[in-house]
Amino acid sequence: MSPFCRSLTRRGRLLTLPPLFCPLLRGKKTFYGEYRRPGQPRDNTPPWKKIRFDFAKGVEGIQKHFGLLKDEIVQRFEGPEGRPLHEHLLEQTRVMWEFRGQESLHQWVVSTDREIGGRSEAYVKLGRNNTTCLLYGTLCSTPPRDGETRYSGYCTLRSKQPLASFDRKKHYDWSSFNTLHLRVRGDGRPWMINIAAETYFSHQQDDIYNYFLYTRGGPYWQDVKIPFSKFFLSSRGRIQDEQYCLWLDKVNTIGFTLGDKADGPFQLEIDFIALCNDRAHTEEFAYELYKRNPEV
Amino acid sequence: MRCARSLVRIQSLRALTAAAGGTVQPAATRKAPHARSLIAHEPCGQALRSLHTACVLLKNRPVATDYQEKSEREGEAAKSLVTYDDLFERAALEAKTKATFNQVLDVFIKRDIRRRGHVEFIYAALRKMPEFGVERDLEVYNKLLDVFPKEIFVPRNYIQRMFNHYPRQQECGVQVLEQMENYGIMPNVQTKVLLVQIFGEKSHPVRKYQRLLYWFPRFKHANPFPVPHQLPQDPVDLARFSLSRIANDLDARVTVYQLPYTDVCETGEEVTQPYVVGIQSPDQRHLLAKHNPSRPVFVEGPFPLWLRKTCVYYYVLRADPLPPEEKVEEPVDPERCFYYPLQLELDLERDLGDDDSFDVDEVDEGPVFAMCMAGRGDQATLAKWISGLQETNPILGRTATVFRLESGVRELQSAAEPEPEARPGEEEEELQSRGVKQ
Repeated sequence: MSPFCRSLTRRGRLLTLPPLFCPLLRGKKTFYGEYRRPGQPRDNTPPWKKIRFDFAKGVEGIQKHFGLLKDEIVQRFEGPEGRPLHEHLLEQTRVMWEFRGQESLHQWVVSTDREIGGRSEAYVKLGRNNTTCLLYGTLCSTPPRDGETRYSGYCTLRSKQPLASFDRKKHYDWSSFNTLHLRVRGDGRPWMINIAAETYFSHQQDDIYNYFLYTRGGPYWQDVKIPFSKFFLSSRGRIQDEQYCLWLDKVNTIGFTLGDKADGPFQLEIDFIALCNDRAHTEEFAYELYKRNPEV
Repeated sequence: MRCARSLVRIQSLRALTAAAGGTVQPAATRKAPHARSLIAHEPCGQALRSLHTACVLLKNRPVATDYQEKSEREGEAAKSLVTYDDLFERAALEAKTKATFNQVLDVFIKRDIRRRGHVEFIYAALRKMPEFGVERDLEVYNKLLDVFPKEIFVPRNYIQRMFNHYPRQQECGVQVLEQMENYGIMPNVQTKVLLVQIFGEKSHPVRKYQRLLYWFPRFKHANPFPVPHQLPQDPVDLARFSLSRIANDLDARVTVYQLPYTDVCETGEEVTQPYVVGIQSPDQRHLLAKHNPSRPVFVEGPFPLWLRKTCVYYYVLRADPLPPEEKVEEPVDPERCFYYPLQLELDLERDLGDDDSFDVDEVDEGPVFAMCMAGRGDQATLAKWISGLQETNPILGRTATVFRLESGVRELQSAAEPEPEARPGEEEEELQSRGVKQ
C-alpha cells in the first residue's frame, strides 16, 4: 500500500470513497499489517510490482464485474436480493451455505498456524456424495521457536467476504433471524464459531464474535442451534471487557476454529449452515456488564 | 501487617547482636538435611531484615560472611544462565511431585527476605509446573503467588496508580493467572487476597482475576457432552463411556462381549485377549432386522473419537444406502402409542410464514446398525463382536459381512465409490489400501 492510501485509511475515509476506487486501494489487506513473523524481513517491494498487468486478466475482470453489475441491476426488479417479495417477507429459515460441487469450496479459506510458523495442517474437501464439506488435518500445538510466540496450534475454516461488482464489499443481512443452525459431524473435539461483522473504525477490524461448537463424535449427524445472543466479543484472541451484542445487519464472514491443544488428527464435516428464527428465544445479549470501578 | 513488620525487625536486631558477638552460628544445622541438599547458598548468619531497614544496619555486618556469601552467589550464577531452573532440576532428581515442588518454593521463600529475583523464579516455576504434575493445582498457584513480596508493588499515590506501577512484576502476576486460565482453574478468595496484598485493588492482575471470575462460571457448563477431567483408567469403562456418548440414545445397551485377560497356554506362550465392547440401541436392532440379507453389511473403522486429549477408536457396523427403488415408506403403527397420536394430518391454520423447515437435501447415508470398541483392531477380534451380535440379531447369520478395516485413521463415510472387489460371501480385509488423505 502506498503512503497515500495509508493516510486515507488512517483517517477512516476509505469507507466513504466512491466505490470505483476500491479495487485500486484494497489489495489483500496489506495496510496495517498482515502478521509478520518475528525475524522475518519486511517486504519492501513497491506495490506496483505486485499488480499483475495482464490483458487476459483485464478481460476476465471486465466480464466478471459487468456480469455482476448486470445481475445487481436485474435483481432489483425481482425483489430484495433477487428473490420475490413474498419469499423475502415470509422466510423463517435461510440456508446460507451448503456444499454442492467443487466450486462451493471456493467460498472458503483454510488457514492454519503455519502462517505463524507452526506445524498444523488442514485441508478441506467435499465429503461423500459431494454434498458435505469435510475439514480434516492434523493439529500440532508446538509453538514455533522464534522466541516470541508462546502459543500455537490452530486450524481455521473461514468463509470469504462476499463481494459485489467492482470488488465492493457486500454484507450479509441476517437481522431477521436470531439463531444459527448447523448440521455437523465432528470427532468429539470442541470448535469455535467466529462471526466477523463490519466495523467502522480501523481499530475494530480484528473484532470477532465467538461461541463454542461442541461436537459429539460418532457416526450420527448433529444439529446445533446457537442463538446469536450468546456470541461474545473478542479481539485478537482475547475476550474483551466491554461486551456488546452482535449486530446482524452487516455480517462479513463466519469461521470455524479448532485450537483445543490436543495434538493429533481431526475432522469436521459440515452439511449446511443455516439461519433460523427461534421464536422462543427472546434474550438479547447473554453477558451483562458490571461497573468497572464500583462505588462501594 | 505493621505489627508483622516490627516483629521481623526485632528478630533482625537480635540476630545482629548475635553476629556482632562473633558467634556466627552455622545456619545449616537448623535446616533439615534434605533442604541442605537443595540450597547451594545458605544465608549464613545473614540477619533477617525488613525491606525498610536503614542502610546503617547493613554496614554492621561482619565482612567475612559478606564475602563468603558473595563468592557463593557468583559461583551459582556462573553455573547456569537461568539460575532458578537449577533449583527445580535438583529437586526433580529426588522426585517430581507436589511435595518437592512446594519444597522448592519454601526454599526460595526462606532464602532471602527480599525475595530477590522472584520474577525470574516464578517464570521458571510456571514452566516447570507441568513437569511436576501440579499444573492443575490451585494450592500450588496460590503458593506461587505468595512468593511475591507483599505491599511493595501497591501504588501509593495517584501518579503511581496512573502509570504502570512495577510493570514487570504485574506482568508476571498476570502470567500466573493466565496459566491458571489455560488449564481451566478457577481462582479462589485466597488468590484474590494475595493479589490485593501484592499489587493493590485495581492492578492488572486483579483485573485479570476479575475477568476469570466473570467468564469461567459462564462457560463452565456450556458443553452439552461433558467429559470428565479424569477419564476412567479401565479400558472397558472408557469404552462404555465413549460408546454411550456417541450412540446418542438413552435406550442403547452396552454389551461387553469379551473382557481383557492374559492366559498362558500349554506351550508356555502368553495369550492376551483384547476387550470387545459393543453398543446397540433398539432402533438399530429394528433397522438390522429389516435389512435385506442379500446385501452385505460392512464393519468399518477405525474412526477416531476425542475425549479431551485422549483419542479412542471405534468401529461401525453399517450397510450401504438403499437404492431409491427399494425405499419403502413405512406407515407408523397407530397402536404403538395409545396416549398420543404419532402421526397427525390436521390441516391446522398455519400461516404462510410458519414454515420452519430447511431447504436442503438429506445426506444419503447407509444405516448404522451397531458400534463397538475393541482392544485390537484386527479382523479376528471384530469377528467376535459380530458373532456376539448374532445372538440378538439372527439376521447377521444369513448376511455377508465385509470387513473394511484400515490401520490408519480414516474419515467417516469415505466409501463413496462402490468397491468392485467387495463381493458378498467373502470376507476380506483391506489394509492401508485407501489412505485418508489423497
